[in-house]
Amino acid sequence: MHAERLLDDNILLEELRKGSSEAVEALFERFHGKIYGLAMSILKNESDAEEAAQDVFLTVFQKAHTFKGNSALYSWIYRICVNACLMRLRGKRRQETVSIEEFMPVFTEDGMHASPVGDWSKEVERKTLDKELGTVIKKFTEDLSEKYRVVFVLSDVEGLSNEETAQILGLTVPAVKSRLHRARLYLREQLSLYLREGKTA
Amino acid sequence: MNCKELVYLLGDYLDGSMEEHLRAELDTHIEMCESCIHFRNTYDKTRIICRQVQLNEIPEEFRERLRSFVTAKGGEYSREIEKYRRMAAEDRRKQVESLLRAFREQRLSPSLTLLFDTHRDRCEKCGAFIRTLNGGEEAKHVPLEIEEHLAEFLDALPPGEEPFRA
Repeated sequence: MHAERLLDDNILLEELRKGSSEAVEALFERFHGKIYGLAMSILKNESDAEEAAQDVFLTVFQKAHTFKGNSALYSWIYRICVNACLMRLRGKRRQETVSIEEFMPVFTEDGMHASPVGDWSKEVERKTLDKELGTVIKKFTEDLSEKYRVVFVLSDVEGLSNEETAQILGLTVPAVKSRLHRARLYLREQLSLYLREGKTA
Repeated sequence: MNCKELVYLLGDYLDGSMEEHLRAELDTHIEMCESCIHFRNTYDKTRIICRQVQLNEIPEEFRERLRSFVTAKGGEYSREIEKYRRMAAEDRRKQVESLLRAFREQRLSPSLTLLFDTHRDRCEKCGAFIRTLNGGEEAKHVPLEIEEHLAEFLDALPPGEEPFRA
């Protein structure tokens, strides 16, 4: 068996159904990082994410024969992952999240910006590889409620299309767009505050 | 066009899915409004730098533990496949049963009620079947084809949305 053949979704699943250990290994290598990362960004807790990742692989094995191939394998697996995480969240006390409304832009009655908007976009260009900025963004994201966080992670961090995110989450495309937009407005505001304070510090 | 409208439409503006005449209106506003130029630049930059954020990496120890788990479970796959098939079929049968019970007792969520109503008019077989249930009859045996259609309703639900009231 050539390892490249296992990159094909249908062959991978076919081999999995036959019990090929190479296929199991290929499935693991290809998805474990994404599954764990996605689970971490939803659950925000290492041991919960680890257990959720186990659930995801179990479900994939149990349902491999029901995979119809009318969506990509990764989006099927992401959907299983999101569901596994939401099931886990349901049993838990609500996590503390920020109120996104407080970070929405403010306008005057006639729809003008209530206060002048600064431009830090060029400044960040020089900081692209800044580790600190990455950590800060991650922290801001974690403060979002899961409703916005999951959409944001799939679309803006993972780079999926709005259509794919909608399919994975079972939302409409306009709902995805609207949540994504609000999540970005929130992050933009948080980053503005951070960079402004960072300058004076 | 004012700043508020521009901010509202910024997502479509930047991903290129906006109609030409709307875009032209926004461009006219942006040219005159420094705050909006800054807002657009920083919004766009937010979007771009987030692509560079890495998802949390799995710690080495977790990875190896997860690997042994997956290898062990995956190795059992061919022996367990019949069991998995039965489990999946049984799961589906139970789900459809509780779905039909909820339908009879009018506990379905609004979106499922809508799905039921549209499907009843579109699909001949399910239509006839659902109508017998409307008469309050207990469903004894759900034909496989109908079970398949009804199971798809459940797949179409957003995760986390309850299909019916308990």
